[in-house]
Amino acid sequence: MTLGRPYPGSEARGRRGRWQAMLGVSLLAVVAAACGSTSGTSSSSSSLASSQVLKFPAFQNPGTWDPGEADAEVDTEFMQNVFDNLWRFDNNLNIVPDIATAVPTSSNGGISSDGLTYTVHLNPNATFDNGDKVTAEDVLYSWDRAVALQGPYSSNLSAIAGFAAVQSAAGSPPASTTGSPLNFQQSIEDGLWGCFRGKGTAGATCNSSLEMSGLTAPDGLTGETVQITLASACGWCLAAWTLEGTTGAIVDENVIHNDPVNWWTKPSSKTDGMVGTGAFYLASFIPKQSMVFKAVKDWWGSPKPTLTEVDVDIKDPSALATTVAAWKQGSYGIIGYGGDSGNLDYPTIESIKSSSFAKDLLTQPKGRTTWLSFNIGYPKTGGPFVGESASAIGLRKAFDLAVDKTGLASTVCHDLLCTAATGGLITKGLIGNLGDGQDPLAAYNPTEAKQLLKQYDPTGALTANLTYSYNTGGLNDPVAEYLQNEWQTNLGVHVNLNPVGDASQFISNRLGGQYVMSRDGWQFDYNNPQDWYANLWGTFATAAGANTSGFDDPTYDSILNQADAEPISQALPLYNQLATILQQDVVYIPLYYSVGNFLIQPWVKGAGSNTGFDYYWDQISILSH
Amino acid sequence: MTRGTLVYIIQRLAIIALTLLVVSFVVFVVVHALPGNAFISQRVHGRTLQLLLHEYGLDQPVLIQYWNFLKGAIHGNLGVSLYIRGEAVTPLVLRELSVSCELGGAALIVTIGLGMTFGVLAAIRQNTWVDYLLTSLAVIGYTVPSFVIAGLGIMIFADFLGSVTGGAFAYSPVWTGTYGTIGELWLPALSIGLYTSGQITRITRASMLEVIQQDYIRTARAKGLRERVITVRHALRNALVPVISILGTTIVGILVGVLVIENIFGIPGLGKEFVESILQHDYNVTVGVFTIFALLIGLSNLAVDLIYTVVDPRIRY
Repeated sequence: MTLGRPYPGSEARGRRGRWQAMLGVSLLAVVAAACGSTSGTSSSSSSLASSQVLKFPAFQNPGTWDPGEADAEVDTEFMQNVFDNLWRFDNNLNIVPDIATAVPTSSNGGISSDGLTYTVHLNPNATFDNGDKVTAEDVLYSWDRAVALQGPYSSNLSAIAGFAAVQSAAGSPPASTTGSPLNFQQSIEDGLWGCFRGKGTAGATCNSSLEMSGLTAPDGLTGETVQITLASACGWCLAAWTLEGTTGAIVDENVIHNDPVNWWTKPSSKTDGMVGTGAFYLASFIPKQSMVFKAVKDWWGSPKPTLTEVDVDIKDPSALATTVAAWKQGSYGIIGYGGDSGNLDYPTIESIKSSSFAKDLLTQPKGRTTWLSFNIGYPKTGGPFVGESASAIGLRKAFDLAVDKTGLASTVCHDLLCTAATGGLITKGLIGNLGDGQDPLAAYNPTEAKQLLKQYDPTGALTANLTYSYNTGGLNDPVAEYLQNEWQTNLGVHVNLNPVGDASQFISNRLGGQYVMSRDGWQFDYNNPQDWYANLWGTFATAAGANTSGFDDPTYDSILNQADAEPISQALPLYNQLATILQQDVVYIPLYYSVGNFLIQPWVKGAGSNTGFDYYWDQISILSH
Repeated sequence: MTRGTLVYIIQRLAIIALTLLVVSFVVFVVVHALPGNAFISQRVHGRTLQLLLHEYGLDQPVLIQYWNFLKGAIHGNLGVSLYIRGEAVTPLVLRELSVSCELGGAALIVTIGLGMTFGVLAAIRQNTWVDYLLTSLAVIGYTVPSFVIAGLGIMIFADFLGSVTGGAFAYSPVWTGTYGTIGELWLPALSIGLYTSGQITRITRASMLEVIQQDYIRTARAKGLRERVITVRHALRNALVPVISILGTTIVGILVGVLVIENIFGIPGLGKEFVESILQHDYNVTVGVFTIFALLIGLSNLAVDLIYTVVDPRIRY
């Protein structure tokens, strides 16, 4: 046990507090010898601390840090500090250059007049953390590989010419007999390595059909120019390619070739491990225990990292109480980083708010919207909401108007964990949000709701035995109870609740259209409305069998295709038309926008978050404290 | 070691091996039968999901999957994690096992140390305030669950103590490295140990009371032996047999405590995998964890049976 940072406000305590302290010290003298330490002194200043090591907990394990296969937010939050894309999102979600020297536009010649060809010049100083220079070949390899692996974000590259051909050529992985995925990833790697882009001698495993025709290197593979040719115009592509930690990230072919499956689990070295171009590299990864990232010496990018090391303890969410206690003691600099801003529960936040730590609580709206989906297009599942008849739409409207969304935010979220979703599906702060109160489905009108119910279901037969399905945990349980109560109170309709304990099973059923009414939601990937409208009810959703509500409207598809091809300034009115179509059809009941909560020590400077992601670690420094 | 003991050990090991086979099979089949899987998400479905299932061999009949698992397990390879894609399970669970053993071992020391000390003291001071105090503590110990003790411990030693001393003296609930430090270990170990030591206290007390009324104890006193020698050398050793008989179940109790306490304190041991791996559909980890726990329980019970022969030479196998 050693001296530690005084708790804020402790100096104000009187004699009683001191006596308590002395008594406590006396009684626990024996224990004291065994106690751990807390560090630091009383207050933070503007000068930098001698130790620039940031430590914080993560409540989830990484799934994979392979950009070709990454899926979860927890993965991308870490990966964005290790890998770079050609561009990155700044703290305000603007697209800014990263490995590329400029954001391509028509005016700077980066985008051809027909909008189909992007010319990208790479930063000549960009290197991987093992010293390998980033060349056009690395970009081509990274994107070809990501498409061939067919991971969850491979569709981000789908507009590039040759995308479909590569996925077809990659085919399905061979069946594993050992439970190991080695065969598939190895075969992709062998196919690319053997004769990549005409380089080297074609070997037996060479598969040149894994190369997208739309990717070329006009100055040669070792050059610094990449040309991207699209199969069709695409207004959202730049944003999708910029999404950190996924398919747009640039990886080192020489490293991956040595271990195509587990390369990302190992510390970075010259020839192996998780090698990236970011400001930090992986120095240690002990699964389900800890990760250590260290700053890359003389990193090529900017701002140069001040932190020398980032230590992450992997915790179970049930360890929240001990973790918060450790944060209060100063053992952790931040809680909430790593995709965990939703982990602080209401009692914890309330207790923080009523303590001297209140000023260290950062509340940040996040890009997640939760709504209720009706079964509209799955007749087999049935229910009174199927189809486009006046009755179906009227009943959907009745159930929508019967829910007080503002009341939900205050009752369930205590106006802390979420806000009412009144600006449309797209979360506040993102392109495509309609503005507060602009979504007519956010209205609350129990009188009209009751009238609609009476008009379209006078006997109550249609709405008898309805069930609302949701996955348990977090806000989902109290939200379900709130909805049930609202419908009972305002419509006189008893809706059964179907809590599903297994989230993956719930999602599977929901995407398969097996629920009459279900919890639904989306967390944005990149700041473009296409991310919402295409993935939820558009071509992407339909193609992948992931259209929750089964909503299918040729007009919607036509406008979506048109919008997707336009730059955002011209596409936005079209996307807003899609919002109107969904609203008029009452496809959903808007419920809430998520809010993230962070605990950040006053001596951690530069940490924070925007709607999408944690601020990069290279912006953070530790002040004297 | 006699030939009979050796045969007994071999028989028990064979039974343990059979138990492991049954446990692994049942758990394997059950977890695979649970709805959902490790990969499904809002982004991973349809073809992407099918590719992953195929890639990991999860679209094969479950018996074939088990046979493949068993072939690997015999060679010490429990397969790969589905949650941390491709991560080998064997080194993962072995490392976590070592952490749990550290915590369980520390809790066992607390259990035996406190339990036997309190039991002996209560017996030799029968019907005095010492006896009443210690037996009351024992009752409280085994009626208050370990997670309650842990919660109180965190409130008192981390929050309250940190607050009243201005952060100068406090339990630090951070687990450093793989094995933590003694300063981080004592409270989790105490949380488990206090709970399980209550029963040891009661058994030790009862056993000691029976033994110290025996004729040979009276004879020892008549010979003029010192009370400490009588208690430790003559009474306690004979009083140990009933205590050892419940040690097997105590170890199981400690293992259960480890499951809960590791979660509360964020200790990277095997215990937290019990729930986590099931929720994450990380099949190979789940099967590995259950099998290892079955092995631990089997071996600890075998060890207890063998200790009988050391403590009481009349017992022979």
